[in-house]
Amino acid sequence: MSDAKSLFKNVRVIIFIIALLGSIVAIGPGYTSGEGTTSNLNYGLDLEGGSWLQIQLQGALVQVDADGGKIVTEMVEPVIGAPITITQNKLEGSGLTEAENSITFTTDASVSTSELEHLELGRISVDRLNQGITQVTIFTSKEALIRLYLANALDSEVVTLDTGEGVFYEIRTAVSEEELKALMEKVGGSILLNEDGTSSYKEGVSVQTRDLTREILNDKLNSLGLKDIPVRTVGEDYILIDFAGIDLATAKDIAEKPGKFEIRIQTTGNESRHVLYGDSIVSVGIPGFHDNQWHTPFTLDEDGALALQKVAIETGAVDNPQDHYLDMYLDENLIYSAPLSYSAATRLKESPIYSWESSTGSDEAAKADAEALQIHLRAGALPVNVVLVGSGHVDAALGEQFKTEALIAGLLSLIAVAAVVFRRYKRPEILVPMVGTSISEVIMILGVAAAIGWQLDLPAIAGIIAAIGTGIDHLVIITDEVLYEGKLPPTKVFLSRIGKAFAIIFGAAATTVIAMSPLVIMGFGALKGFAITTIIGVFIGVVIARPVYGMVIKEMLEASGATAENGKAEVSAE
Amino acid sequence: MATGLTEFLDSFVKSHDNRQLLAIPLAILALSLAVLLVSFASSGSPVILGMEFQGGTQISVETTDSPSVLEELYSTYPLMDARQAGSRVIMQFGVMGNEEQRQLEDDVMGRYSNVEIKQIGPVYGKDLQVQALRALFISFLGMALVVFLIFRSPIPSFAVVLSAFSDIVIAAAFMRIAGIELSLGTVAALLMLIGYSVDSDILLTNRVLKRRGTVEEKVSRAMQTGITMTTTTLAALVVMYVVSTFPYLIIPSFTQITLLSQISIVLIIGLAADLMNTWLLNTGILRWFVLKPEFRGRYNR
Repeated sequence: MSDAKSLFKNVRVIIFIIALLGSIVAIGPGYTSGEGTTSNLNYGLDLEGGSWLQIQLQGALVQVDADGGKIVTEMVEPVIGAPITITQNKLEGSGLTEAENSITFTTDASVSTSELEHLELGRISVDRLNQGITQVTIFTSKEALIRLYLANALDSEVVTLDTGEGVFYEIRTAVSEEELKALMEKVGGSILLNEDGTSSYKEGVSVQTRDLTREILNDKLNSLGLKDIPVRTVGEDYILIDFAGIDLATAKDIAEKPGKFEIRIQTTGNESRHVLYGDSIVSVGIPGFHDNQWHTPFTLDEDGALALQKVAIETGAVDNPQDHYLDMYLDENLIYSAPLSYSAATRLKESPIYSWESSTGSDEAAKADAEALQIHLRAGALPVNVVLVGSGHVDAALGEQFKTEALIAGLLSLIAVAAVVFRRYKRPEILVPMVGTSISEVIMILGVAAAIGWQLDLPAIAGIIAAIGTGIDHLVIITDEVLYEGKLPPTKVFLSRIGKAFAIIFGAAATTVIAMSPLVIMGFGALKGFAITTIIGVFIGVVIARPVYGMVIKEMLEASGATAENGKAEVSAE
Repeated sequence: MATGLTEFLDSFVKSHDNRQLLAIPLAILALSLAVLLVSFASSGSPVILGMEFQGGTQISVETTDSPSVLEELYSTYPLMDARQAGSRVIMQFGVMGNEEQRQLEDDVMGRYSNVEIKQIGPVYGKDLQVQALRALFISFLGMALVVFLIFRSPIPSFAVVLSAFSDIVIAAAFMRIAGIELSLGTVAALLMLIGYSVDSDILLTNRVLKRRGTVEEKVSRAMQTGITMTTTTLAALVVMYVVSTFPYLIIPSFTQITLLSQISIVLIIGLAADLMNTWLLNTGILRWFVLKPEFRGRYNR
């Protein structure tokens, strides 16, 4: 039996055994009298019970151009209720610095600074010329004007993204290309074309926005104490939330209920006064770095701005900011606390402030704080419009049933396969390694799943069965190749036969992997697990398990051949 | 089963010429294509689109009530179909508004136990449909590319790809006739078929092109191996189909696992078609190719 000993010295066999043992450790099967059998395997919702929601992010990314003057006319005239005349447009052109970018108009009507500031067009200077004519200069950029125009017209947040291929406007609500085209034509503009002549309009939102939405959802679920709820992005525009052990109605409640955000100002001691709730926050900007500090900008609505001014004056925060910090709470947890800046305190004495910035400090940690604040300020209100596009629910008892059934189906399938194999070869020394290899492949797939925390759901189980199906096919190819003349060939011929068998197997495995890979790359939530499990199974089979089967079957056949020829060979060989 | 089938096919292949071998699978392929075409012309889709691709809600509950009782109960909702599956009733609803959906879900959950709900919005369904088609197309193209890379010979590769194509078309036509809907599960099955069905074709082509021996002998040998492969897989699938479709025959309280049931039935039909396509269609083309006079028996010695 010297050959059998050498089998255990073979590198492939050693790898196989280590992988198998490693998988068993990873799965960690156990039994306790209270809970029954236990393991480290994670099961999907359809086997565990729970519900899922799939939401779509609505929006559009587009490059546009427009006439800045027409935008100002379009936006200012309804506010002041009189026609205006653009007299100077210094939004673009050579030799202008950013600070000089401005647009100037004149009008007969009387104009107050505050009603124009409310439009947030930019820094404004108002001069009264003679004969009742007012001249207004707005320091702004064309980009800002377009963004504001779109945001106003569509009643949605609009942000600009510089992608390197130019500036894109991200509109965070559903808008069709035609609607957008009509809007731009009104201000002498158009949707720009890409270099290849196609329209730059694209449905959906940017990856950053999608990820921000996911973060906000995550944050909200965490603040509700639901730490293990995975929020995943699926494809470009979808987010999938799995609520294990939570029924569909509760899941919808959780997803729809915004968090409670509140700003308070400290009075005396530990006391503080309510200023406003999250519904007063109109928009939250992207954190930026200036004046040696990280800042998160946000804008208040009329009521919010007035309330903040009123409370700040009444508590004395405008006179003595250091004693009256401004506190922010999300779901009753303090998330930010800082004094009013002196400039803000001074301005508040005169007029309400709509645009605010919370500074968090200058280091890396402050940057993270600013980003966290951006999420908190939104208080679970998502940055984009979303629609529920899919949902599902499986009762826990039903999931348990599915699990048992899938297990029964797997076991019976294996027995059926074993029966067919035995009918064909009628030799236990082929049947045992074949079924053994197949079972060890299942164990290794499960081991990988346990090790990477992959969730086993029904599609994944179908994937395991698929991998086993191709696995048995390949073992049959190896067996028939080895036994081409009906008996075991000499070692040299044997090796070339194994080589030939693997030529076929690699080809077959490659087609399976190629056929499955579109599912891995594309946005199918449910079928991704199926495809990945199949691919993992095929890899484990081809790389680890099947080469070892070739060697084992050779040993088994040699041993049994020797036994047949010489009844006591096994005993006498020692 | 395997041995009897192998002998039958082997003697059939030996006693018929290539033209005769091709006749049957090509006729069935044409018939299947006709089924899909007629369906496309009459309903706008070659197969029946399931809820996942059309949008709507599917609710399955455990109940002793008959489907007609439930139809009556939920008649105010856009209920399209209610059918019995063992101890459960599966209801199919059309697209509903958010509020209506909530109401229905609350009612069902309050009234029944072991509830399963699946809802897909029409827009997402449309998106899934496009993606499913794209996945099938890319998979097939990728498979064809791998096959051409392996054999680097157009006619044998074409024979493999044609036989895989025919497997899928026949499986899809069967779905149309048997009323099996295209769902995520059946798309998975069709994709799996692309991977599975070429295994035996690759084996056959590899053996015939790259081995010594007479063509007849090589085909016979390949058939021995190939039919064992396909029958083991079929055996596993038949068991999986029976267990996932009729589990209540074993334990009355058990529920159909629709996903596994759909995957297995489509694969069973596809692999049965593959037996025919590999050993008649592919073998016929390959045998004609390698025995062409210009090779002077290169593949036949």
